[in-house]
Amino acid sequence: MSRVGTIVWKEWRLAVDTPMGYVIATAFLLAAGFFFGNSLFLMGQAEMRGYFSIMPLLLMFFVPGMSMRMLAEELRIGTFELLATLPVKTVHIVLGKYLAILLQVAVLLALTLVYPVTLSWLGNVDGGQIAASYIGALLLGSAYAAICLFASSLSRNAVVAYVIGFALLLALFLLQQAVPLFPPAMQDALGVLSPIEHYQLMLRGVIGLDDVVCLLVTSGVFIAFTVFQLERRRWA
Amino acid sequence: MIRAQNLCRHYGTHAAVRDLSFHVRRGEVVGLLGPNGAGKSTTMKMLTCFLPPTSGSATVAGIPLDEDSVAIRRHIGYLPENAPSYSDLDVRSHLLFMGRMHGMSSATLHDRIGELGRLCGLEAVMHRRIDELSKGYKQRVGLAASMLHDPDILILDEPTTGLDPNQIVEIRQLIRRLGEEKTLLLSSHVLPEVEAVCGRMMIIDKGELLADGSVTDLARRVQEGHRLTLIMRGDAKRVIAHLRRRLPEVDCEEAESDEGTQLLLCDPSGEGGLAEAAFHAVVEADAVMLEMRRQQATLEDVFRRLTGGQS
Repeated sequence: MSRVGTIVWKEWRLAVDTPMGYVIATAFLLAAGFFFGNSLFLMGQAEMRGYFSIMPLLLMFFVPGMSMRMLAEELRIGTFELLATLPVKTVHIVLGKYLAILLQVAVLLALTLVYPVTLSWLGNVDGGQIAASYIGALLLGSAYAAICLFASSLSRNAVVAYVIGFALLLALFLLQQAVPLFPPAMQDALGVLSPIEHYQLMLRGVIGLDDVVCLLVTSGVFIAFTVFQLERRRWA
Repeated sequence: MIRAQNLCRHYGTHAAVRDLSFHVRRGEVVGLLGPNGAGKSTTMKMLTCFLPPTSGSATVAGIPLDEDSVAIRRHIGYLPENAPSYSDLDVRSHLLFMGRMHGMSSATLHDRIGELGRLCGLEAVMHRRIDELSKGYKQRVGLAASMLHDPDILILDEPTTGLDPNQIVEIRQLIRRLGEEKTLLLSSHVLPEVEAVCGRMMIIDKGELLADGSVTDLARRVQEGHRLTLIMRGDAKRVIAHLRRRLPEVDCEEAESDEGTQLLLCDPSGEGGLAEAAFHAVVEADAVMLEMRRQQATLEDVFRRLTGGQS
């Protein structure tokens, strides 16, 4: 098993061995179930648009919860020194942590696959659109994971790391909401910078290469920021 | 195995380590002795490539620090201060994680965990969560983790801090056994600890190397007739006067005890002969000597001697 894989394995063990992972999964499924059931039972529509349109907000609450301890706790209790003196580069540590958050997001999304299966019994569903939406949600989760991991590298306190991560995601959400207020020339530029904008384009059922690239670049940039921040701490 | 040349490390404007140069040969067991804040941990953090030096250079296992930190870490087993470990994992999972991070194969790792479990006395707690363990066990988990990949060099930062006396004896025995085949650099702020396990010690204070030599030499230098406790019956003032005639610089503290008058004698010149002078002074003052014992040198004495009374 590669060293990055070993870090993913350790983080997964910590997530499933402690109550925190179950609390997050339960709360996420309750919230997701509410928005899914809302359109199904109250409006009588066999579709998942309500669930996917609320996804940026759901992830905004839950991804910081998954990532807040990843680096902040290691820095606080001193295990980061243990980790950083193993024969592994900082970028591998960060990649391992990032993939561990992404794995948790993927598992949470996979648990909601029961919704499209249920819908397919009740009526005709657009499988392509739902598949594109799931891929979009995973890519959005990937960008959020990198952003929140960066937040976790900024503090030794997990709660502070959560607040920073949430604030960064909230800023992105508000930016996306405010795009129409800007002049048309700026709207395009801001749209490119907004992960939610790219995600929403995928909800139409089309996976645009530029959307995928923009979400992956956001992940890459924040992974690089995290590596830089951890390296910077060593020089401080 | 370890060679440092003019190592310096600053935290902002504060110099934690200044111009530190030393050489640790293969198979040596070296103690880095100094009070808290002397720069011991910072030195170790630099040698394990956790912190980059502000200036100066060092090679570990023949590899310069700034060349290939990953290769250096393969040669090193490191126990950071307070032996941090993943407290939410059980002991076995923690060791599995550490071993895998060293690239060990599963079969080798399982054998090695069994072997170290026996060596460090961890067999009974192998499946218990680390946060449920005592400080002593956590320290042993840290030691076992540092030895998993059978490194050539062990760097142990205060390995017995916070342990009870029995645990200290056990860990010292373990370190002594390890020192038979490894190059070992350990830090401590307790002189007897370094004396018990190391062949050589380096004393640092305020980031500077004050002394470097064999443990027996340094200990002798600071202990020779340096401090004595004398219990006597008779006129203490006359005894002190006779003593000062022989050793003018001697410090005397007088106290009454159940057995008689207790004199605490300290010779700051450290030239020796305090015991002999005290004996003659008691005889010349027609007093009766009931007890005379040499006091163990403390780290403070070592510093006072090495810094010429400045610290």
